Amino acid sequence: MREVMRPLARKLFQALLLVVGVTLISFLLMVWFGPDQTYTLIGKNATTEQIAEVRHQLGYDDPFLLRYGEYLLELVTLDLGVSNASGESVRTLLARTVPISLVLMIPGFVLGNGVGIALGLASAHRRGRRSDRLITALSVTGMSISFLVVLIAFQVLFSTPYGLDLFPVRGWRVSGWTSYLHYVTVPTLALLFVTFGYNTRFYRALFIEEIGRDHIRAARALGASESVILWKHVLKNSMVPIITRIMFSIPLVVISGSLLIESYFGIPGIGQATFEAITSGDQPVLKAVVGLTAVAFVAIQFLTELLCRRLDPRLG
Amino acid sequence: MTASALDIRHLSVDLGSGKERRTVVDSVSFELRRGEVLALVGESGCGKSKTAEAIMGLLPPGRSRVRAERIRLGEHELKDLPSRAMRKFRGRDISMVFQEPRAALDPVFRVGQQVSSVFRRHRGHSGSKARTASAEMLLRVGFAEPGRVMRAYPHELSGGMCQRIGIAMAMACRPQVLIADEPTSALDVTTQAQVLAQLIRSCRQEETAVLLITHDLGVVAQYSQRALVMRQGKLVEEASVADLFTRPHNEYTRSLLTMAQAGMA
Ligand SMILES: Nc1ncnc2c1ncn2[C@@H]1O[C@H](COP(=O)(O)OP(=O)(O)O)[C@@H](O)[C@H]1O
Ligand SMILES: [Mg+2]
Repeated sequence: MREVMRPLARKLFQALLLVVGVTLISFLLMVWFGPDQTYTLIGKNATTEQIAEVRHQLGYDDPFLLRYGEYLLELVTLDLGVSNASGESVRTLLARTVPISLVLMIPGFVLGNGVGIALGLASAHRRGRRSDRLITALSVTGMSISFLVVLIAFQVLFSTPYGLDLFPVRGWRVSGWTSYLHYVTVPTLALLFVTFGYNTRFYRALFIEEIGRDHIRAARALGASESVILWKHVLKNSMVPIITRIMFSIPLVVISGSLLIESYFGIPGIGQATFEAITSGDQPVLKAVVGLTAVAFVAIQFLTELLCRRLDPRLG
Repeated sequence: MTASALDIRHLSVDLGSGKERRTVVDSVSFELRRGEVLALVGESGCGKSKTAEAIMGLLPPGRSRVRAERIRLGEHELKDLPSRAMRKFRGRDISMVFQEPRAALDPVFRVGQQVSSVFRRHRGHSGSKARTASAEMLLRVGFAEPGRVMRAYPHELSGGMCQRIGIAMAMACRPQVLIADEPTSALDVTTQAQVLAQLIRSCRQEETAVLLITHDLGVVAQYSQRALVMRQGKLVEEASVADLFTRPHNEYTRSLLTMAQAGMA
């Protein structure tokens, strides 16, 4: 048991150090050198005393460590203050918007990786043959079209009288499965279209490397079928890079992917909220988003590490 | 029943495609008799492994071309066999042991699962029956405690142990033919002799014919009855081992022998 616990404890300690590191960076960027609200609150013609008074109320004259400590405490207790723009508490804002972003992004994300793995496997298996060349051509095409063009094209194609006119142009009035599918389909297809090329290329390269290994040839020499080779040996040996890629792209997809999709389709998720907070300089919201994303990254890294240890005996 | 376990006529292998295409095995013909140990020697890069892989049907179809007049395994013609049919023979009637024993095992599966899979596939054994058969097979290649080995992952074992496991898997279905491609070159000198002796012993027990690829002429002298000498994709000499060492016909064979003697001195 001790042998199991010791590396785990070390990992946990490392994760904690990393949390301190990333939160320190986000604190420096967002709070210490962040926007100063003094003048927004009291206007331009204030006296020196008034300025000092306001700065004191805002806590700007507190020492560095105290302010960093308060920031950490805010993140830990999720007591993140209120939005400057709307007066809504940041915690409620997150609770309202994050679930929307998750259900918006999950289908495209899962499908994107699923399709990437399936096409990558097919492509690697038929390497150099016609189907591989076709998949490669499609992937490169997908990669070379800009996200914005895809969004516009899909919107026209699926949601306007010029095209199929099957889905809503924008918005998010979801109250059940039918309306969910109604609103989520076009963003999902768009996300799938822009990510499948990158995913397929990545997974193809990964699987080609695995197919080239000695033990694959040895398994064939013992009569293993192609499906056993691909689904058992190649896939299980590829699990560590697959998991790592998927886990680490979660925060990126949720934040940057939803930033674009949500503001384009007018969906009230965390992406749109972040976008609005950036344009209006709504510091409490930005502070929370940046800080929590950093913490999420560390948590994901820790989880990934644990998962990979379980999947590859050589790491354990 | 034919006298030959393996009968190869005019086997050629081209690698690469288009302008890059190269013939690495050039019209090779030989016969492996039932139960014999036939050595295939030649310097590194002369095409020994590609010959073996071509016979086994292991070369990737898109990036290589195999031509032959005949690749007969006992009564069966393997040439132009669809891959599904060829697969049935591999590991059951013709099997192979590789040069890098640890790399030839899948790192993420336990040894027991890997050995058992051969019995499940070719013998249709159920889980527990396959495990019993695997343990027996591992006992036969010299593991005193098969249970422990079966629970291990390849990275926990020595190279010699991995190659014994490779032998156990290759011999699991008592094949007519075993191709051993430099099976001990990657092992340290002390284990080389033991592992090779084990391989030959297992093959004698099962009356399996061996195509033993090696560049060690000492091994040729000790274990094989006949030898083929290969150079730049072509067979340049075929002789009994006694003749090879006393009356080599080919200039190249003579130079190999001289080099080997110089190396030993
Ligand atoms: N993918 C490849 N494309 C082109 N030539 C190759 C490829 N792989 C191996 N070769 C060449 O094929 C020849 C025969 O290789 P091999 O059968 O492995 O030699 P040996 O086993 O006798 O050392 C070598 O000269 C090698 O350079
Ligand atoms: Mg070789």
